[in-house]
Amino acid sequence: MRYIIIGGSAAAISAVEAIRSIDKRSPIDLFSDEKTPLFSRVLLPYYVAEELTKPLLNFRALDFFEENNITAHIGVRVKEISADAKTVQTETGETFEFDKLLLATGGKAIVPNIPGIDKEGISTLKTMADADRVYNLKGKKAVVIGAGSIGVESCISLMRRGLKVTLIEQLSQVLPTVFDDEAASIIKAVVEEMGIEVLTGERATRFTGNGRVQGVVTSTREIECDMVVLAVGVRPDITLAKGAGIEIGSLGGIKIDKQMLTSIPDIYAAGDVCETFDVARNTHFINAIWPMAVEQGQVAGLNMAGQTTEYGGSVRMNSIGNFIGFPAMSMGVTHPQECTYVEEDCHFQEIKTRSKNTYKKIILKNGCIVGAIFVGQTQKSGIITALLRKQVDVTDFIPVLLSRNLNFMDILPLVRRNADRFTEPEFKELMDTGL
Amino acid sequence: MKVIKVDPEKCTGCHQCELWCGSEIASVGKELPLAINEQPQPVPRVYVEGKKFAIQCRHCDDAPCVKACPNGTMRKDPETGLIYVHEPTCIACWMCVMVCPFAIINPSPTIKVAIKCDRCRNMGYPICAEICPTQAMTIVDRKDYRKKKFTT
Repeated sequence: MRYIIIGGSAAAISAVEAIRSIDKRSPIDLFSDEKTPLFSRVLLPYYVAEELTKPLLNFRALDFFEENNITAHIGVRVKEISADAKTVQTETGETFEFDKLLLATGGKAIVPNIPGIDKEGISTLKTMADADRVYNLKGKKAVVIGAGSIGVESCISLMRRGLKVTLIEQLSQVLPTVFDDEAASIIKAVVEEMGIEVLTGERATRFTGNGRVQGVVTSTREIECDMVVLAVGVRPDITLAKGAGIEIGSLGGIKIDKQMLTSIPDIYAAGDVCETFDVARNTHFINAIWPMAVEQGQVAGLNMAGQTTEYGGSVRMNSIGNFIGFPAMSMGVTHPQECTYVEEDCHFQEIKTRSKNTYKKIILKNGCIVGAIFVGQTQKSGIITALLRKQVDVTDFIPVLLSRNLNFMDILPLVRRNADRFTEPEFKELMDTGL
Repeated sequence: MKVIKVDPEKCTGCHQCELWCGSEIASVGKELPLAINEQPQPVPRVYVEGKKFAIQCRHCDDAPCVKACPNGTMRKDPETGLIYVHEPTCIACWMCVMVCPFAIINPSPTIKVAIKCDRCRNMGYPICAEICPTQAMTIVDRKDYRKKKFTT
């Protein structure tokens, strides 16, 4: 068996580990267009903020490829996949044969079509080259466009480097895909307190400057700046997949089945490049986040190595972590409208608690959790994640779920009642205790 | 893979395991009177909450926290299967907190590190099981966990 992995981040490495857990010998060729191997993209804002140096960005030891007997082609871009001949061609002109192929090409940062976008001093923050560029940009004032996780983290990073930062978001709140407006307003206040100017409901319409960016024109004003970070989102990098004739879903990601197989036999896909079944939304969705990429890579890898495994479905989850000074996270949907549903009788419920420093919300659909937000106090939120992913009816446990003292033993009856869904040995062990 | 088995019939909810875990494992002073005043504040990795049952990391075979960790800080010891936090690289993103179904990973109250039970992997025998006054905690093989009925 000859394996080829295209990509070198979460999904790719996880797939390699899964393959090697079964098949220790077969040759694996891994191609990554990044010149730096094994760094974690999630940490790039930390690098820009000078909180982590380059070696600390690695998520696996540098001898990973050697230890696992993998031929790594670092900095080598794959140009083409021939599905019929079962080969891949690199840009350097070499051809490699495969029996099983994994596409883990991830996402591409979106570069919006705004006049003047090609000026110097404007960069996305997705690749290591981007991070180096942003890190080395000189100036006193920065504008960050887009208030998603990367946008918010980028502006805090630049602020910590001593720059004056303005954050522009065209929607009416910060972190629009992560939080509802109530949670977002808490985060916004914190970000503003750090000295960052936050403009929501504003759109960048033009960049000014002669060669080098000097300002951003929005619908209402012009902001002077020396650099711009674009953080308006990512979209699946499907160039290779399209070229190979692989079916693309309606959202622009690779369509896969439960075993992470694409429309072409022996070609698998995992991570930010594909659309997966979202258990909260009850439809296909692109959940381009680290933990999902790892899970999908693992499922793909096991199937590639011959151990039939099905993916249970993905769910969006984001943790803002300590970057803003206090914990805040959310999973699933943040508004009931995001769930598509086919059932005739569909009942949504939103339950919130708010105290001086905390905000918690759970969204239920027909008694099952489909979304949750935790701000300020996030301990024990993993229990909610587990209940969301298993889609169990929690109707009679609602007060417990939002209580400050929530702990696993409280929901054990719920776990036992749904024993068919909690099949992992760890759950079974605790179910046996008889409590 | 060995796991800690807790017998609910024997657990009296006395919190001795929490006290010993917090002082013996988490503190520098190793004694309760010293541990109480220490900074960063020592915290236990075993929890007796609500019902009388001590719960600590289950060291899952296919651990969600290891998968969620974006920089390899959450690690699995290949020999023992024990899962531990490699503290120097923890960036406090709390992804592990978000995915632990047993909610036994917690943010440290004082420093930017995720805290969880590593079953005293460098000590030979877990302190909670060692000091439990009623011996409610025993170490068994995961394979045998479900076979044996609890004896009172």
